[in-house]
Amino acid sequence: MSNRDSAAVRTEDVWKIFEQEAEEIQAVRGVTLTIEPGEFVAMAGPSGSGKTTLLNLIGGLTRPTRGGVWVADRDLTRMSNRELARLRLEKVGFIFQAYNLLPVLTAIENAEFPLLLQGVNGGERRRRVMDLFEQTGLAGLEDRRPGKLSGGQQQRVAVIRAVVAEPALVLADEPTANLDSAASDRLLDMMEELNRHLTTTFIFATHDPRVMERARRLIRLVDGAVESDERREPEPER
Amino acid sequence: MMNRAIVMIRLALRSLRRQARRSVLTAAAMIVGGALLMISLPLGDGTHEDWIDSAVRMGSGHIAIQAPGYQASRKIEDRLSDSARRAAEAALEAPGLREHIVTVKPQLAVGGLASSPTGARPAQIVGVDPVAEAAFSILDEKVVEGRYLEPGDRLAAYVGTGLAEGLELRLGSRLVLTAQDADGEIAGQLVRVVGIFRTGIPEIDQSLIHIPLSTAGSWLGSREDVTTIAVLVSSSRRVPRIRRALQRELASEIEAGSVTVMGWREAMPELDAAVKIDDLGNYMFQGILFGIIAMGIVNTVLMSVMYRKREFGLLQALGLTPRQTGGLVMIEGLILTTLSGIIGISLGLFITWFFWRDGLDFSFAWEEDWTFSGVVMDPVVIPYFRIARVIQGLVFIFIIGVLASLYPAFRATRIDVAEAMKFER
Repeated sequence: MSNRDSAAVRTEDVWKIFEQEAEEIQAVRGVTLTIEPGEFVAMAGPSGSGKTTLLNLIGGLTRPTRGGVWVADRDLTRMSNRELARLRLEKVGFIFQAYNLLPVLTAIENAEFPLLLQGVNGGERRRRVMDLFEQTGLAGLEDRRPGKLSGGQQQRVAVIRAVVAEPALVLADEPTANLDSAASDRLLDMMEELNRHLTTTFIFATHDPRVMERARRLIRLVDGAVESDERREPEPER
Repeated sequence: MMNRAIVMIRLALRSLRRQARRSVLTAAAMIVGGALLMISLPLGDGTHEDWIDSAVRMGSGHIAIQAPGYQASRKIEDRLSDSARRAAEAALEAPGLREHIVTVKPQLAVGGLASSPTGARPAQIVGVDPVAEAAFSILDEKVVEGRYLEPGDRLAAYVGTGLAEGLELRLGSRLVLTAQDADGEIAGQLVRVVGIFRTGIPEIDQSLIHIPLSTAGSWLGSREDVTTIAVLVSSSRRVPRIRRALQRELASEIEAGSVTVMGWREAMPELDAAVKIDDLGNYMFQGILFGIIAMGIVNTVLMSVMYRKREFGLLQALGLTPRQTGGLVMIEGLILTTLSGIIGISLGLFITWFFWRDGLDFSFAWEEDWTFSGVVMDPVVIPYFRIARVIQGLVFIFIIGVLASLYPAFRATRIDVAEAMKFER
């Protein structure tokens, strides 16, 4: 097996072009990347650099105009909406900048939601979620609705939800953008810890220097294209 | 799969509860609609029952047993033979039938002429058994002068006010009835007015004459033969079943061409048409009412979908397919409409039963009798409750719920997840 075949994420000359009032916007321009399992990657760049769009392409939330995207060796461009949904459920966890939690569910119900969809039984669900609540200092807040949690607490619940089903990949779009530095540090600590323990691949879209500092690989995007791709330390062991 | 359905139902219930004000407003429209439906349907059915009851009592019953050609010809030669009459009377006594039959009346009806010294008028002359007729018909209650026919009467006639006025008849007046007899000859019979009635139905008041069946038999040479055996059953809804049972009992006579068994719809096609037209009008009114309610629901659910784009985007990011997201909207719409529909239907039934079970009096709305197609409308409408109507109402509301949720659900499937999750500063 080649390296390419076992990559966590691979994009090949991927383009995303939006049409807006007869104007063509090239959000992502010919990006070719390979991200290995267990990497902790930050995609950085100014607003409009295409990092969120690239993240959405990797997560199968939007389809490329051309080029290819593979996640866990599966070609997303050839998958139906149903297959993409299945892939997201089983292989990908998402953390968004805001509005991460379903307002009608409590913290614990939000966190266990992917397990619920996967059909994991109640006892097992609670055990796995409660372990993570304990580890992340959220114990005691299980039954609170999102409106009764701080921004940092909400983001931590979102992280738990993203990793609880042990996906191969977690995509985080500006997860620290609305948090103060203490909350950001705590969240990043938590994600680093999970990355180490679960060997889950984390990909961030960010312009937060704190995230960039922690990332072991920093990909800079400018105008939808990769400007630089810098590894901070040796690739994690395979 | 089952697990996911339960998750979606739970999410739908929570969402409805979270948007309590919006849910209550939408539900209120459906509750009012459901209540109106369950008020109007039993009252409409009650009205129809009243029409049917009035018409069948004045006419040939819920079920008419006749000779095959009589309905079209109305001639004495198309009368039931003595053997056919006996077979019919025996069939009506059969176990399983007898208990559903309220009463039976034999009639010998012919078209003829009524003459007095003043002039002559066409008349519908009906030979009746006074006791059976009084138990069956309401004509004996419509007397304005004199009395109805009695057992033992021989040359007695009970005439309508219109005919009495036209021929200047009073109690005790003599008139001559002329009609074609059983041998095809024109025969006359002198009778004396013992009673005058007024139904309010011009075509009846101006032409109907009741005489004793025995008098008619000897006058027309038909002995004890009759043209119709009219049957009154406990409810018009049972007519098709009882009619089929009677047809089974009289199978050999029907096959021999000596008997036919007709329901009131065939025997009184104009009444059947009136009921159907009225039903159609009611359905159209209900359709318009629920169309308006459905538009309100579409608007509310659609607003909710637009308002919750991020939520639906997030659900898809977490692994729901677009179709499942649409399904969630459908479930919300269906739960809302079905629950509120059930409440509305219960409320409507309660109101109708609690306040109007003994009848809703519309006499303030009209002073004189309303008549049509040989029917006198009673201003007091008694609701008629049927479980089938409740089921029909529930199905109707469920269909409205499905239709009203379809478009919002479709919109939910079309949500662009990446766009929905975009953070706007």
